[in-house]
Amino acid sequence: MRLFADLVASGIAIGAIYGLIAMGFAVIYKATGLANFAQGEMSMIVAYVAWTISTTLTGNVFVVVAGSIVFAVLLGLAVERFIMRPMLGEPIFSTVLVTIGVAVVLRSLITLVWDAYPHALNLGVGRDVVKMASVSLRGAQIASILTLLAVMGAFYLFFRFSKIGVAMRAVAADDRTALLMGVSAARIHAIAWGCSSAIAGIAGVLFALVYDLSPAMFQLGLKSFPASILGGLDSVIGSGFGGILIGVAENLAGGYVGSGLKDVAGFLMIIVILMVQPFGLFGEREIVRV
Amino acid sequence: MRSGDFKETYADLIVLSDSRLVWAWAGVLVVALVVAPFVVNAYVLSLLTLVLITVTGALGLNLLTGLTGLISLGHAGFLLLGAYGYAIVVAKHNLHPLLGFLAAGVAPALFAIVVGLPSLRLRGLYLAITTLAFSYIISDLILEAKSITDGARGITVQRPEFFGLDFSSDPSFALLCAFVAAVALFACLNIQRSRIGRAFMAIRDNDIAARTMGVNLQAFKLYAFMTSAFITGIAGALMGIYLSFVSVEGFPFLFSIEALAILIVGGLGSALGAVLGTVFIVLLPEAIRILFSWFGGALESLLSTGVHEVKSIAYGVAIILFLRFEPRGLVGVWRDAKRLWTHWPLKY
Amino acid sequence: MRYLIATALAALALHGAPAVAAEQGVTDTEILIGEVDPFTGPPALLGKAHSSGLKLAFAEANEAGVNGRKIKMISEDDGYVTARTLQGLRKVIDVDKVFSVVGISGSGQSIAAMPVLEKSGVPTIISSAPVSQIFEPARKNVFALGQVYTQGIKELTAFLADKFPGKKWGIVTQDDDYGLLVREGFDTIVKAKKLNVVYSGSYKKGQTDFASDMLRLKESGAEVFLAGGIISENVAMIKEMEKLAFKPAVGIFWPGRIEVVLKLAGPASDGLYAVDYVEPLAGPAGKAFVEQAKKHLTEAEMKGINRYTEAGYAAGRVLVEAFRKCGKALTRDCAISEIEKTKDLQTGVMAPISFGAGKRFSDQKVQIMQADFATLSYKPVK
Repeated sequence: MRLFADLVASGIAIGAIYGLIAMGFAVIYKATGLANFAQGEMSMIVAYVAWTISTTLTGNVFVVVAGSIVFAVLLGLAVERFIMRPMLGEPIFSTVLVTIGVAVVLRSLITLVWDAYPHALNLGVGRDVVKMASVSLRGAQIASILTLLAVMGAFYLFFRFSKIGVAMRAVAADDRTALLMGVSAARIHAIAWGCSSAIAGIAGVLFALVYDLSPAMFQLGLKSFPASILGGLDSVIGSGFGGILIGVAENLAGGYVGSGLKDVAGFLMIIVILMVQPFGLFGEREIVRV
Repeated sequence: MRSGDFKETYADLIVLSDSRLVWAWAGVLVVALVVAPFVVNAYVLSLLTLVLITVTGALGLNLLTGLTGLISLGHAGFLLLGAYGYAIVVAKHNLHPLLGFLAAGVAPALFAIVVGLPSLRLRGLYLAITTLAFSYIISDLILEAKSITDGARGITVQRPEFFGLDFSSDPSFALLCAFVAAVALFACLNIQRSRIGRAFMAIRDNDIAARTMGVNLQAFKLYAFMTSAFITGIAGALMGIYLSFVSVEGFPFLFSIEALAILIVGGLGSALGAVLGTVFIVLLPEAIRILFSWFGGALESLLSTGVHEVKSIAYGVAIILFLRFEPRGLVGVWRDAKRLWTHWPLKY
Repeated sequence: MRYLIATALAALALHGAPAVAAEQGVTDTEILIGEVDPFTGPPALLGKAHSSGLKLAFAEANEAGVNGRKIKMISEDDGYVTARTLQGLRKVIDVDKVFSVVGISGSGQSIAAMPVLEKSGVPTIISSAPVSQIFEPARKNVFALGQVYTQGIKELTAFLADKFPGKKWGIVTQDDDYGLLVREGFDTIVKAKKLNVVYSGSYKKGQTDFASDMLRLKESGAEVFLAGGIISENVAMIKEMEKLAFKPAVGIFWPGRIEVVLKLAGPASDGLYAVDYVEPLAGPAGKAFVEQAKKHLTEAEMKGINRYTEAGYAAGRVLVEAFRKCGKALTRDCAISEIEKTKDLQTGVMAPISFGAGKRFSDQKVQIMQADFATLSYKPVK
């Protein structure tokens, strides 16, 4: 039982990070209909920027986090404005491949600007171990879980009550009608990229706090993709849940069955669930007309 | 512009090419491919071999993604199965290399039935991610099935020798790859103009409409998966022989992405596009390298340790810029060039 | 007529003399050497360090020159992808026409490179990741400098078994050929010393979260643990154990024995046992090496110094010594036979290096070391 509780707790902790990145995927998919293959790379570069701020300017956790979120938003906006917007109206495949190109560029930037060594992001917080009943987690892991919950709540309110959020849903539902209603699709796209990049950045910083920085961090994107699929690509909040489910499934498989199964547990789970729910757990069923 | 060009029968309409000139050029290309391996230096030869192997794999993916419209992010898995199929039959059990190639095609094709099943229910990215999941599962199975595959140890593969032909030298192996690529190209072109190919395209354009036209979706989607996996598996076997060492590590996920990139850069859904895209993507790093060497030592010393990263950034930027200015892919460029050629100096 | 023949012969002789020396990759002023290593992506950690070691050895040799020639190195990046390793190798051999090849990425990449290297006949030293497939069977022109994984892990396990007799053991390895070799070495000693192994797991390359693995390890009650990860995996395992307040004796292996691991893993890394065939940088020999490197390496390269720099440096030294002995008429055959004759070459970064007739593996002596967190360094034990 203690093992079970421990496994679930650490599963939720890593799942929260998957979930955050998966929400980033979902925001862009919802607003633009694109899969952004550079999501993991964006997380990585924001985490490296956070590290640079912490080693050169100040290690104050608030400054570092604020600075890296600002950078993340700027990065998202820049990618949207200069790379993605010119591709508007082009075949979707070409547009998705462009995000792969962005991923290649960002990945190489890491070893060009920084180096291939792993680094610890030391903000003076998050390393301490917190014991709750029999379960022990690091501060940063608890912060990840709380952040995920907060971001999920914020998105719920955003989509429900804010004008921009409603507009985003409108663009996602039918971009032409939304345009006719006076919603600027370009602006919505920009906001989506900014938001998505910011969440990805937060996830990157949290990941770096728990597991350190390394140029291999971009693989996080690939690991989080299934989470988004599981929750439903167009369901932002569902993707967050998807992340937690995958994290827990991985850890339980690793803990009870064997480490060989750990890395495919998430994949096995999405295959099984997609056979029952072809648009993910919370995804909207696409109705196709001839 | 040819005039008086009437199609009188259906056969005329679907013939591979009715132009003698095209056949003549194809002949020239074949001769060039046969001669090239014996003329060029070993490095260019290895690039040529790599292009030919990649063309075969890209053609395989094109059947599925280009023609049938089912996106796969898991083709590295089929390559891997093909390479292992060949390696196990030939290197571990010393059977005939042709049997090895057969296994390299059949093993992925059989597995493709399992991978293809979700395609009956899933669309777009959902399907793409399940294929990705399967490619991870394939590599996991290969690592676990130690008694059959030697697990992580990998299998060393020799160049084949059959029908009294020895393919151990680089030029002769390149010829083998050229032969396989040509056969794959012909197979794809012929599938495209057959009933099956038309059914594939109907599924891509609108699967519900296709179904009402009497296309059996289940059968044809699975069929697309199997043929695609078969051809990709053969490419995997060649890749394994080329690498001379088959292991899970030698076939990274990157290959799946690169294969998709080839199709998109080339122009989705066209066999010609797959060929042009392969040439572009495989030779792009070479082009960048040559570009760098023109600027010479100045640039190299300026960037000192960063030169390799800059090359890899240039690769990403080249792909972005290309798609920005030519989103239809190389096939679009090719068609424009052809039009310009026939109409010049007129505009239309 | 006779006069004519004599002049022709003389001309031929004059022409012929340089022709003997004009082996591929050698001119009167230059010797070209090719290197293929990963310079992009995470394994750049290995590749860049290895490359700067080679650069150092060649820069030192170029100060005086090698029989009037300077050594020039051409480095190709393979990004740790086997297909690109072969491309890079063919490029340096067939386009740049190098005289000799050194390095070569990881173990899988080196194995795949063997047919190309054997066919080309260029004198080659494999120093990044030597494995037994490279020298068994012995190839005329391919030399493996270092030690194989199995031997290293055997010595580490044997050492820990003597130090902690009768304890319960745990091991976690990577699910690739590297992990397999680690496990092979471990199993040999387990059998020989009848060790009690209570946990044995493996992980997929690239795994970051080791919570479930470490929880199971703790449950199993292991007291001595071999962490078979490379760099970030070992750090993640050590940090996870710290979180669980679980403190077995931990052994790590040389591919991940870099100083940064200690810094990242924090105080929990104090007292880690490690094994390697190159000198720890904090030891007297290592310190001397770092001093020596400052002269020729840039600041960025100095930051990247680690054990692979030492491995690269040793390989470079072996080549330089062999070229020196060949004198002005440097040919491949001569270089190969001179490398073969290398006997107790002192490089300062590892035990004296020797090859021999039919002996293509230098079989370096390994030493056990222990991590000291206070100084972020490894110190020899015994």
